[in-house]
Amino acid sequence: MSSSSRGPDLTLVAEAAPSSATPPRSGQERPAARELDWSVYMARAQGGDRDAYRRLLEDVTPHLRSIAARHFRNSGDIEDTVQEVLLTVHAVRHTYDPARPFGPWLVAIANRRVVDGLRRQGRSRAREVVLEAGHETFAAPQANLAEAASDGRVLRNAVDQLPPGQRDAIRMLKLKEMSLKEAAAASGMTVAALKVATHRALKNLRKIFGRQGGKT
Amino acid sequence: MITTPDLIESLVADAKPVRRLRPPAARAALWLLFALAIVSLLAVSHGLRPDLGARLGQPLFVTGLAASLLTGALAAVAAFIVSLPDRSRLWLLLPAPALALWVSTIGYGCLTGWVGIRPDSVTLGEAADCFATLVFTSVPLWLAMLLMLRHVALLRSATAAVAASLAVAAIASTALALFHDLDASVMTLMWNLGTAALLVGLGSAFWERMFSWVAPR
Repeated sequence: MSSSSRGPDLTLVAEAAPSSATPPRSGQERPAARELDWSVYMARAQGGDRDAYRRLLEDVTPHLRSIAARHFRNSGDIEDTVQEVLLTVHAVRHTYDPARPFGPWLVAIANRRVVDGLRRQGRSRAREVVLEAGHETFAAPQANLAEAASDGRVLRNAVDQLPPGQRDAIRMLKLKEMSLKEAAAASGMTVAALKVATHRALKNLRKIFGRQGGKT
Repeated sequence: MITTPDLIESLVADAKPVRRLRPPAARAALWLLFALAIVSLLAVSHGLRPDLGARLGQPLFVTGLAASLLTGALAAVAAFIVSLPDRSRLWLLLPAPALALWVSTIGYGCLTGWVGIRPDSVTLGEAADCFATLVFTSVPLWLAMLLMLRHVALLRSATAAVAASLAVAAIASTALALFHDLDASVMTLMWNLGTAALLVGLGSAFWERMFSWVAPR
């Protein structure tokens, strides 16, 4: 694997003894040399050297982030995983044997935490629904009646299109819910004429809505 | 949520010197030494089976005993190896040949000794005694394994649990063969394989829960 491919090259074996002085840090170091550094830092950290430990953790964090980024898209999940790996590295740092390469040790731990993270994600996805802006509403019933309100407007427009006799009959008998007698008294029409007008009005309304339904 | 640089600072502040783990073989040897001590204590308090001298002359018995002991030892080594994060999981196969030999000696013993089984060959008291031996060997060995492998809680606990359980089961079974004359009967099969399967099953099932008690995260 060349060092230019995606992800950190962490599979190299440190062959030289970790006794040489710490080489200068630079971003262009060869992976083998870098990994040897990590091995030396960890060996010192196991002895309680805090500077070496800080350097090690700061150095490996970008690599852990790139490992996590292969599995998670959300930056929060990536950072969570990185932190979990760092915590695990801290808790099991005594299991590292400086005679062995550092990369595989770190990658094995990182993979464990990535798998844990994926399982957690799977569980939460199976049981939770992400609440998007479109799902937000107010508890009051008026806030949720947008459709009903537009239906009412369409009906009123349709009633306005009716001939005057039918319009009045519908308004009085259906919208104002008057009885036939009250409507007859109010309009001066006979009960029979009101009945006929209402019947024709409903027929016309049905026709109007049928036309609109066919159009849309 | 704490930021990663802050987390690193807090980890660095907490970086006390730690003692590296000894090599897996050395740790397995330590555990086997502990097992030897337990079995010796039991031998002193309980006494070995009366016909042990005669049985040690039988190749089948000796092979079975050696195979179960070897299975225990190799499974212990495998448990300590796979508990390390960077070792291959294939180390789990290390005790497989010895395990196969052990199981086949039990099977062979069963086949050849089948005729000799009498319904009253195993009494209830004897079975209870067997069970006591099993508990007295396996519980301390389990606890020792748990303590020595407590760091695994954060790593491959299931893989290590299988190997550790097999080690405990094999050593307990070796102790059974030394203390009780249950072999060459279907009881052997029940005791050895049954308890081995039970221990492996229980161990794998409760491993994580026991860790929360031994090594709180």
